[in-house]
Amino acid sequence: MKKKENLFLKDLRRNRVKWLMLVPAALVVILMCYIPMTGIVLAFKSYNYHDGIFGSPWVWLENFRYFFQSGKAWTTTRNTILYNLAFLCVNTVLQISCAIMLSEVIGKKFKRITQSVMFLPYFISWVVVGAFVYNLFNYEFGAVNTFLKGLGLDPVDIYSNKGAWPFILVAFSAFKNVGYGTVMYLASIVNIDDHLFEAAELDGANMWQKIRHITIPCIRPTIVILFLLAIGTIMKGDFQMFWQVTGNNPMVLETTDVIDTYVTRSLLTLQEFGMTSAAGLYQSGISFVLVLIANRLVKKVEPDYALF
Amino acid sequence: MKRKTNRILSLLLALIMCVGVLTACGGGDTPAQKDPAPPANTDTDKAPDTQPSEPSEPAGPDISKAVTLTMYLIGDRPVDNDEVFEKINERLKAEINATIDVKFMSWSEYESKYPLIFASGEEWDIIYTADWCFYNAQATKQGFWEITREDLETYAPMTAETMYPEAWEQAKVGGKVYMLPMNYKEITSYVYMARGDLMDKYNITSVSSLDEAEAYMDAIVQNEPGMIPLDVGSDYDKQFVFDRMWKQASRQAGLTEVGPWQVMACTKEDESAANVTGHYDQDIFEEVVTRLKDWKDRGFWSKNAVVNTQNNTESFQAGRSALALMNANTAKSVYAAVTADHPEWDVRVFDAQEDAPPVLNSYLANGMSIFSKSQHPERALMALDYLRNDKEVNSLFCYGIEGKHWEASGDNALVSLPDSANYAYDSNCNWGVRSDDNWRVIEGGIPNLPELTAKWQESARSSLFQTFVFDDAEVKNEIAAMGEIFNTDYKLLTLGFTDDPAGDIARLRDKMEAAGANKVYAALQDQANAFLAAN
Repeated sequence: MKKKENLFLKDLRRNRVKWLMLVPAALVVILMCYIPMTGIVLAFKSYNYHDGIFGSPWVWLENFRYFFQSGKAWTTTRNTILYNLAFLCVNTVLQISCAIMLSEVIGKKFKRITQSVMFLPYFISWVVVGAFVYNLFNYEFGAVNTFLKGLGLDPVDIYSNKGAWPFILVAFSAFKNVGYGTVMYLASIVNIDDHLFEAAELDGANMWQKIRHITIPCIRPTIVILFLLAIGTIMKGDFQMFWQVTGNNPMVLETTDVIDTYVTRSLLTLQEFGMTSAAGLYQSGISFVLVLIANRLVKKVEPDYALF
Repeated sequence: MKRKTNRILSLLLALIMCVGVLTACGGGDTPAQKDPAPPANTDTDKAPDTQPSEPSEPAGPDISKAVTLTMYLIGDRPVDNDEVFEKINERLKAEINATIDVKFMSWSEYESKYPLIFASGEEWDIIYTADWCFYNAQATKQGFWEITREDLETYAPMTAETMYPEAWEQAKVGGKVYMLPMNYKEITSYVYMARGDLMDKYNITSVSSLDEAEAYMDAIVQNEPGMIPLDVGSDYDKQFVFDRMWKQASRQAGLTEVGPWQVMACTKEDESAANVTGHYDQDIFEEVVTRLKDWKDRGFWSKNAVVNTQNNTESFQAGRSALALMNANTAKSVYAAVTADHPEWDVRVFDAQEDAPPVLNSYLANGMSIFSKSQHPERALMALDYLRNDKEVNSLFCYGIEGKHWEASGDNALVSLPDSANYAYDSNCNWGVRSDDNWRVIEGGIPNLPELTAKWQESARSSLFQTFVFDDAEVKNEIAAMGEIFNTDYKLLTLGFTDDPAGDIARLRDKMEAAGANKVYAALQDQANAFLAAN
């Protein structure tokens, strides 16, 4: 025990500059993440302004009840997880393939322009995307139906078609996020040592072989880390996206309702801080478990790349 | 040598990062550091109290220290707001040594922002409130400063004299008053707005009942393929058509609404004891939903009405729809805008109340409150006293600057001047300080409005449970679960989106009962009976 302590002190002395450089990051995490975490108690309290967060009376699990009472807990939890898994898989595959394609393109100008154009949707607010969607799919004067009518076909009513929405949502999530991820993967592809490719070329490897045996293995750490980070947010569905793109449409809720939209609808008029915190805590709890599971899986397959 | 400079450089870098983080925190901390200061101020505030430095005002409250009050209003800042408040502040400075700094929260964000400013630790003093704008919720969460009768007499003597006694009674939550309600009798009534050119084209003479509206919309659907007759469905108007039908039907059935709207409850009006049931348990609910389904199927509103983001007045103004439904207050401004842009439409306004009496609003429909953590609640009350009762200050706030934004027309009316585009009549969230004593009606506008208003004033009455306040502390979870149903299944039914009204109503009933509706109705019934017994 004592020896261990000495080792730590020794390390502290030897690498004091490095330790010092860690301080700012640690401070940020403590100030911005750990201290605010005490707010979790709100989930178990009936909040009022006068007594504040810590003085308000305890109600324990009372704040969680509405969530399970309505019978929507299961549907929304399932939707949240499935949607985010779908986003994660589709976006990651698209991001990696776009990054590889862009890296193989030789024309510099073309590459830059493509990259910028792909990145652009990331900056468009979901409110605006929601307006796009409405103007595309509106039954009476939407672009899709105007086009169909022009061809002499029957108009389609997408806003009451439950089955269509998972595809629409996945497509718009990709539209918005692929460009951003592509840039990250592209950066890690650019970092691959050129000698590897040159050596492979000398050995007569074709493009596919180079991609399969050099590019993908080299960016694997990036893939794994981005994947693990995304798992952490899997329970926090992109609220803006679900709310704005579906227009909070009650006809297709069965396939589009996630925890955030459900909680917003239930509590918007009630203003209960405790109950919203309870929903947040439920999400965080499940996220935490999911991260543990994912990390464990990664550890089994690739022990070097696990987060902890 | 090089290694050493490197080390020094990296040390420096680490230091700079540390300093960066710390100063960032320092920045965040400053509001907290400010906190202890104001109590010190209040101490100095009190100190001169004992010193005979202001002998000129022996009995009045101490106003020796100048204060700036922060007032929150809902809406967007009118262009000339600062100019108007400069004049108001001139007067307030002279009278009570205080000035008002106005902050705005826009209509699109007030629902989320309103509760936040109470919790944020921000310093402010006065806020607009109303029974529909969080009055009960914030009062029960101790967000407002309690106003006692003595406070009124000491700090707001004019208000103490002029306030309607029933307004004061209505403002009580658990026996305590937290709001100065408006001193103004307001009626909410609905009107149809129709296109005169289209009416003439299809030989429609009047659109002042559901049946006449049906005939008009039918003509539009048959002959104007590019138009949606009545473009409802947004958050603003998703219930408008249902409300019109429900009000007619429930009046005939002798029913009245009770409790918060998301619990969808009603009771017989003429019986001495309340017997609270859900809308879905009334036969008329199915009749109304069936008619709504018929209207929706005939294309009176969009097949995508449930995701509509534009409200029906906007569609009407854009020429996309032929009929609009709105309350009479909104109609004034819409009428002015449409007749200016499209005089060829020959827009006409009709009464949409039919034989349902318009609602005489509770005084709590508008009011002003003081923040419970305000540093200067007494001075805020004094300022409100002037905003409400002082003819000059009240007119400035309600109509803008005389001679610039409006011109008097007799004692009780005014004419808007062109500059009123920058400070419109009665629209700067001044509703909480409206006062019948100082009120001026606007001249011009809808030609038949005076006639309609006269009719409404005769028939208007307040509903039986107007001032009833439901204490939801025991059933919050049930109300949250019902709120979800209100925003989904109920919304679909009230827009006619159903293929099988009877079946969907039965499903609504099952869901409501699973959510705990019966428990809520029982609680509602007990409290409603207690309310009836007390009144």
